[in-house]
Amino acid sequence: MKEEKFWNPYLAGIGLGLTLLLAFVLVGRGLGASGALMRFDVWLLKLIAPGHVQANPYFSQYAQNTLSNWLVFEVIGVMIGGFLSGGLAGRLKFKTGKGPNISVKGRWIMAFIGGALVGWAARLARGCTSGLALTGGATLSLGSWAFMFAVFAGAYATAYFVRKQWI
Amino acid sequence: MHEIEITSGRMNPEIDPILHAWGWPIPLYLFLGGLVAGILFFSALFYLRNESDKYKAGVKIAPMFAPFFLTIGLLALLYDLSHKLYFWKLFTTIRLESPMSWGAWTLSIIFPLSILWSFLFIKDVFPSISWNSKLLDQLHELVKKFAKPIAWALLLVSIILGIYTGILLSAFNARPFWNTSILGPLFLTSGLSTGTAFVILLSKDHHEKLLFSRIDMWLIAVEMFLIIHLFMGFLASIQVHEDAAHLFLGGPYTAVFWTFVFTLGLLVPFLIELLEWRGYKLPTSLAAVLVLIGGIIFRFVVVDAGQSSRWLYKFMESSLK
Repeated sequence: MKEEKFWNPYLAGIGLGLTLLLAFVLVGRGLGASGALMRFDVWLLKLIAPGHVQANPYFSQYAQNTLSNWLVFEVIGVMIGGFLSGGLAGRLKFKTGKGPNISVKGRWIMAFIGGALVGWAARLARGCTSGLALTGGATLSLGSWAFMFAVFAGAYATAYFVRKQWI
Repeated sequence: MHEIEITSGRMNPEIDPILHAWGWPIPLYLFLGGLVAGILFFSALFYLRNESDKYKAGVKIAPMFAPFFLTIGLLALLYDLSHKLYFWKLFTTIRLESPMSWGAWTLSIIFPLSILWSFLFIKDVFPSISWNSKLLDQLHELVKKFAKPIAWALLLVSIILGIYTGILLSAFNARPFWNTSILGPLFLTSGLSTGTAFVILLSKDHHEKLLFSRIDMWLIAVEMFLIIHLFMGFLASIQVHEDAAHLFLGGPYTAVFWTFVFTLGLLVPFLIELLEWRGYKLPTSLAAVLVLIGGIIFRFVVVDAGQSSRWLYKFMESSLK
């Protein structure tokens, strides 16, 4: 089957906005991602080092009923939905998305470092682009808008130094 | 002053019977029993339709596992017994009103039949196998001669086995969540579905995979229909049945059931198989794995929840925690 084109980004953006609205209507919560990842993280950590989770002031807040949270179920749904829509568009295959001048291994290392930085920063900011910028932004929270501008400012400021990955 | 601590009424640990008497062996056995029922049913069915060579994994390869799965299941049952050496007492009587009696006799028929059935195909599956025994040769000829009646018998007994895994539970009227006649057909359908999923995993033939995935799709549709009716029936029934339904509709089993059994074990594989049927390329084996995992979690949840549901209070704390 031929791979289908991606959606028009403006249409997809409206779709995402409506999804957010539906989330508010149906479950009374917004969208998020890093919160769910943090909870999976705490859950894994609890399996290996329950003592550490209890002792850590941040993790211990989530030690009880770690996975019993709307975001966890939402992220499971996101994975299912992504998988099915990938299948519908004929895009279900293993591949590494990268620029022409970087090796697959290099791309993975950079992605891992970048991901770790984003995860850490999202916890410092108390939210990521979905939870803080998108959901908070929709409620016109000032902190969320400041965060969103900071994200774009940070991206423009540092893109020059990592551009080799993509061009 | 002397203090005497008095434990009165139902708080007395000796008043209530043991509430969670069934641990992992029972749901494991129910899962394996259903799986074997599904495997043998489709093997016999396609054998009788003269499609043994067309659907090799379904007719010939999958039954090779059946006696082993049954053995593991029966060992689990034996392990669960408090008086293991008295298991044979089940075979001293036939009681038509007792599901356990039905089960014991069904198993004593299907177990040897499954061995004969896999013996019939052993040379097709392992061409290099050879035995220097006239007796075995004669037996092989004999089984070949009676293959059709054996297949008919398997068709019948596998359905009884599949239903029995459900009505074993529904016969307990002291456990409201089990006490519904939908459990029999539901466990049968689920067993048949796990059987097709197992064949999908074994098969290397695209056509066969497609056929079994389409059968599985319909079975899952029936299963979801039955589950919805299970809850509709409970909610339209007496208070204890309503309470039993609330174990899953806001109670302690809600998340595990609707996430792992209904969504990941039924709905997602159904959608994958539906899309595949409509010509999209999706990994069917993923659907099969999800069905098998969903099937095993389903049995664990049902066995555990049934023991939590009762007449006198809403429900006890789940042992799942």
